[in-house]
Amino acid sequence: MSDRSTAGETAAPAEASVNPVRVDRPDATADDYTTTELLAVAAAREIDDGETAFIGVGMSLMSGILAKHTHAPDCQLVTESGYIGSFPPGVVQSISDTILGVDALVATDQCEIFIDNQRGAFDVGIIGAGQIDSRGNTNSTAVIGDATYDRPKVRLPGSGGSNDIMTSCGRTVVMMRQQRRAFTTKVDYMTAPGHLERPGRREELGFVGGGPCAVVTDMAVFGFDDDGEMVLETTHPGVSVDDVREEVQWDLRVADDVRTTPEPTRGEVAMLRAIDPADVVLRGTDYVYEVSFEEWSSTVLDHWEQLRTVQNDTNN
Amino acid sequence: MTHTIDAINQQDGIGDEMDDREKVMDLATAIERYVTDGSSIAFGGMGGRDPEAAAREIVRQGTTGLTVLDDARTTLLDIMVGAGCVDEYVGSWVGTSLISQGHNIRNAVENDVPHHLEMRDVSNFGSSLMFLAGAMDLPFVPTRSMLDTDIPTYNDDLEVIEDPLGSGDPLVLVPPARPDVAVIHVQRCDPMGNAQILGNVVNDHLKARAAEHTIVTCEELVPTEEIQRRPEFTRIPFYTVDAVVEVPFGSHPWHCYGQYYADLPFYREYGLRSQDYDEFCEWLDEWICPHEEYLEKVGTDRLATLEHMERTINGASPVEGADE
Repeated sequence: MSDRSTAGETAAPAEASVNPVRVDRPDATADDYTTTELLAVAAAREIDDGETAFIGVGMSLMSGILAKHTHAPDCQLVTESGYIGSFPPGVVQSISDTILGVDALVATDQCEIFIDNQRGAFDVGIIGAGQIDSRGNTNSTAVIGDATYDRPKVRLPGSGGSNDIMTSCGRTVVMMRQQRRAFTTKVDYMTAPGHLERPGRREELGFVGGGPCAVVTDMAVFGFDDDGEMVLETTHPGVSVDDVREEVQWDLRVADDVRTTPEPTRGEVAMLRAIDPADVVLRGTDYVYEVSFEEWSSTVLDHWEQLRTVQNDTNN
Repeated sequence: MTHTIDAINQQDGIGDEMDDREKVMDLATAIERYVTDGSSIAFGGMGGRDPEAAAREIVRQGTTGLTVLDDARTTLLDIMVGAGCVDEYVGSWVGTSLISQGHNIRNAVENDVPHHLEMRDVSNFGSSLMFLAGAMDLPFVPTRSMLDTDIPTYNDDLEVIEDPLGSGDPLVLVPPARPDVAVIHVQRCDPMGNAQILGNVVNDHLKARAAEHTIVTCEELVPTEEIQRRPEFTRIPFYTVDAVVEVPFGSHPWHCYGQYYADLPFYREYGLRSQDYDEFCEWLDEWICPHEEYLEKVGTDRLATLEHMERTINGASPVEGADE
């Protein structure tokens, strides 16, 4: 790996940075955290150490980096644009963001990534969706409503890799906002295959992937039972089972012992805020883009430098 | 129907600078020659190394009726759709990334502004395979992706069959994409058209091979001897390339691995101004101009900062082997 120049040369003078991994009592429950941070932490916990995780941009990437910094230092992150093993020092803005090249093990092409995916090389994938049904079938193509596929009510971005990930990844985590209109009895368009219309269907089709294993939302975490039906497993602090039922169109199956989603730790929240110090993903703020170009660039360089320091500590 | 790659006329130039020069041309000439009204076109990159300058030149020339055959596509498609250049998109994903939506694309699909954009969806692997089928000159490549979903339901080009060799497996057949032209932006290319890609490749090596013609825009036009020093970086060989254009900062405002980081504030401003169609048209008036003029407007200092950011994060170019 070539030497990197330090960002300090041009970066604006920064306040003394707190090393997030050296936060006091890192395993204690965080004093304050947002729902989005809870969501990111819950998704990160779905990645086990040593696994190869197929991720996208935004929340799923942040969950992947968080996992690498916490309980799963030996997981490897894969992105569909062609990088394997990335350890990006910050928020990734696009699927070919050049910071995905940082510490990557492989820079290859998309076809090869998906060939390996179809072969079952990847343990866990994380995707998003606009709609989901009780069997975890998802829609990220079009909310058709009373209209048509050609002129839908809302045109969504499309499958991207979500279809391929749900087909072939060992298991898939779906991250979504909990909304009644999104948790629907029938998706308008099935973009990615969940547990399809009946148990055993995935096996008949010869899918190597196990399909959706968890749905993580801003209110709850769901699993799937042996029938392939979604089951409410935990609700986030302050959210009741009835609150979740209100936001689901079908008669929701609920685990016998619904618990409260474990809260993020101080260490996890501090780490997340180090990954996204300008709140681009976590709080959706545009601060970092509302400043002048010069302030933006020095802020970003400064963030990279801080997180590189943390990553070096993690690696050592 | 087959389409062979005509390599004979393309081999003459090895080591012969005069003949090689025939492929080297300016951006306006390359686009005029290979992108005409009604063309089908594939673009390289994917939210990084996108040929943004070439796309702006297509808009500047007022080309219409284009079919874009693609994988995932961000700003350049949104600009071309808003400018009325595109009638149809075949691919896996449209939008942008984190900091804005593809407002023009949605407006065209949902509201026919400025006119209707027809969508034909595939998955990401499906898009890779349609270029692989095109590159291999085959009528289809099979996959397990997209089975039992609505992607084949709404895309009549996809066919679901049972394995004719007897395994009983259902398969989705993905037909070839054969764009009239592929436009690929790379870090380095020589006058013969040997294009070197650093960092991730996406589907660019397949798009160049599937297309009837390929335009390579590059950050730096280098002598063939430079290519020969590191042949492992060449992902697109000379016999698939028809035009070579040196276009520094040809991916701005996106990333170009090893060269410059993405200009996200520029991109965000586009996202804000493209929310309203009239404001988008003002953006077009401001930014659709010859590339040299565009770079002057962006500003030398700003471009130097983006280069500095990329050097900071990805070190020295592996090809050069030394930092500046």
